[in-house]
Amino acid sequence: MKQLLFVSVALLLCGCETVQPWERGTLAKPEMQWQADPMEISLQAQINASKEASSGGQGAAGGGCGCN
Amino acid sequence: MNQVPLFDHDFRAMGGPCRLRFACADDALAARVIAAAETEIRRLEQKYSRYLPDSLVSTINRAAGADAVPIDDETAGLLGFADTLWQQSDGLFDLTAGILRRAWDFKSGRLPAQAAIDCLLPLIGWQRVQWDASSIRLPAAGMEIDFGGCVKEYACDSVAAVLARHGIERGLVDLAGDMAVAGAGSAAQPWPVGIRHPRQSGAAIATFSLAAGSLASSGDYERFMVVDGRRYGHILNPLTGWPVQGLAAVSIAAPQCLVAGGSATIAMLKPEGEALAWLAELGLPWFAVDSAMECHGEFGER
Amino acid sequence: MAAEKRPALLALTSSALLLPAYQGVRADAAPEFIELGMRYSKYEEDNTQGSKTFGGSSQRYDIDAAQFHLLAPVADNWAVAVDVQWEDMSGASPWFVGASLDGSPKVIMSGASIEDTRTEVSVTTRYYYDRGNAGFNYVRSDEDDYDSNAIALDGSFNSADGMTTYSGAISTSRDDIEPTQGSVPTNTLKNDKDISSAWIGVSRIISKNAIVRFGLAYTYREGFLTDPYKKNDKRPDERNEWAVSAGYRQYFLWPDGALQADYRYFDDDWGVASHTLNLAWHQNLWRDTQLIPFMRYYSQGEADFFANIADTDKRYYADDYRLSSFGAVTVGLRVRQQIGNWAISAVGERYETDESWGVYSGAESPALVNYWRYSFGLDYVFR
Repeated sequence: MKQLLFVSVALLLCGCETVQPWERGTLAKPEMQWQADPMEISLQAQINASKEASSGGQGAAGGGCGCN
Repeated sequence: MNQVPLFDHDFRAMGGPCRLRFACADDALAARVIAAAETEIRRLEQKYSRYLPDSLVSTINRAAGADAVPIDDETAGLLGFADTLWQQSDGLFDLTAGILRRAWDFKSGRLPAQAAIDCLLPLIGWQRVQWDASSIRLPAAGMEIDFGGCVKEYACDSVAAVLARHGIERGLVDLAGDMAVAGAGSAAQPWPVGIRHPRQSGAAIATFSLAAGSLASSGDYERFMVVDGRRYGHILNPLTGWPVQGLAAVSIAAPQCLVAGGSATIAMLKPEGEALAWLAELGLPWFAVDSAMECHGEFGER
Repeated sequence: MAAEKRPALLALTSSALLLPAYQGVRADAAPEFIELGMRYSKYEEDNTQGSKTFGGSSQRYDIDAAQFHLLAPVADNWAVAVDVQWEDMSGASPWFVGASLDGSPKVIMSGASIEDTRTEVSVTTRYYYDRGNAGFNYVRSDEDDYDSNAIALDGSFNSADGMTTYSGAISTSRDDIEPTQGSVPTNTLKNDKDISSAWIGVSRIISKNAIVRFGLAYTYREGFLTDPYKKNDKRPDERNEWAVSAGYRQYFLWPDGALQADYRYFDDDWGVASHTLNLAWHQNLWRDTQLIPFMRYYSQGEADFFANIADTDKRYYADDYRLSSFGAVTVGLRVRQQIGNWAISAVGERYETDESWGVYSGAESPALVNYWRYSFGLDYVFR
């Protein structure tokens, strides 16, 4: 856990070369998004949350369902 | 695949004839593309035209000598580009030089009095303009900025981006001679474009195939007068207030029409010999006609 | 074009490209066109194994789900999204676990098939400003035996250089439970629970082709957290959950594809902890086809009060397989084909669980679930 935090902070603080706005075309591609297909992601999250004891972590939790 | 209908739409904007050409299989989509493209041009015209009293440029000019005017990212970007043109041309391109037109009336056929020019020169000087990413202030009342040298070229690129966002694979935006290609499909079928002859209106001095990117042209033919057998063009040196004795016409191809247009403007502002050397150094395809109607440059089939 | 840019050209080009017309498609820009999408999904759990069930093999859950999505720009900087989801569920679920003659735990299913439908409607309005966006979301979910109303606020903000994005979200929900009477005796007639959660995230551009994100989430649940249909189930009426997550996206010019990796560590005060790793490879083929194989590894440790044979004299107890220790592996493939303004997509995935696949030790529940899921999708952009 501590190591993960350390690596995270190191990555965030590292002197990453500034990527200019016009060089961010690739980063705008659908495959580079955190949620490439929202409907697919929400269905997967709902199924997993109803079959496993852990959920969330990718945003606020929202409501539940009585899914068994 | 090759039978996609070609749409041609002519209209007037930014003080000149404009034309959109693009391949599109869907009539309704084509209508939306045309509407979106025209909307984008009008938006830029209403923001940057100095003829419209409500434009941002008019607001900035009215506030000269008084308050700073807040600006958005787009305007700050254009000012930044104009600043680069000023630096790269050693002060020959100056966003504040437009007021010289108060002294120069090319329709009159008479040269201005030196005194008239002398009283305008103190109001010119980009280095004195106070600007940053969020505001601009012209330091003296009477000073003016004029985006005439870059907005049309920027609009070309912006409209080409509108076409691309609508999924147009092959399109050409032509704003009074400044052109930008939209979509990758133009590589397979380039657009034939003509370069205007600087002394014969309506005639082409060269033709060129535009497969990608853009083409911008600048010439001394837009406004001029001949006095005592000597030709005075509308391209004025902001340091002297007098027309430059430079090239008759320059065309440059570049990935962005704004860069092509800015480079062509710099070339037009320099004395002939210097301009040709600068163009050779630039690193972009170019074509120039000197005052003796001699052609120079790297592209064009004459 | 000259391969090497000269100083004048470099200066002109770099100052020109700062202008909005050259920014390309911004990932976080307001949508320009109306988008419509729909998905039809079939979810099928494997039957319970006869050797693990009293009364022989039994049918578990099947779900048919239809999703609709509408995203519409309503003004220059405003967009509204409406999502509707219908589900039709049928099948039996584990009722309780008992000890067989040889001492091994066996699951007793709920017997009669449960039929239920669920409708979820979600409305989001989002405002886009120069350096980010903010959204407000309302979700209502309706079932015969369960209603939920939730609201959420979220926002993101980019640093001045645009390299770092800070995000945050908060949500709260009120869930009402009124179990259907009939097939099994339920352990409540009517109850409710509240869920509140907060999330913060920081994403950072690493290079032209890579971006990383870290997140921290906290969720507080309070009220009736017990499963009403389980015979041996009594859970605390409070639960504090934490999740830390990390995500990574890397694009590779050759072979025109991207690696998507997401990790989450989850921990709560019920003693449950879990690791989740999602990996996907997004392969672009020609211009309009995408092939996306993905896999997920999940491992959780059991809740403090979990036991296969629940001790109902204790304060809290549960024999629910979802609170046991197990590992799960998902393998799937997603295919997407763009045809003009249309896109069709299909997904197939297989989820399998096994106690021995996990990194946490614990007794294997006889009720662990395996399933298949297929989805078919159609999207249209009005441009």
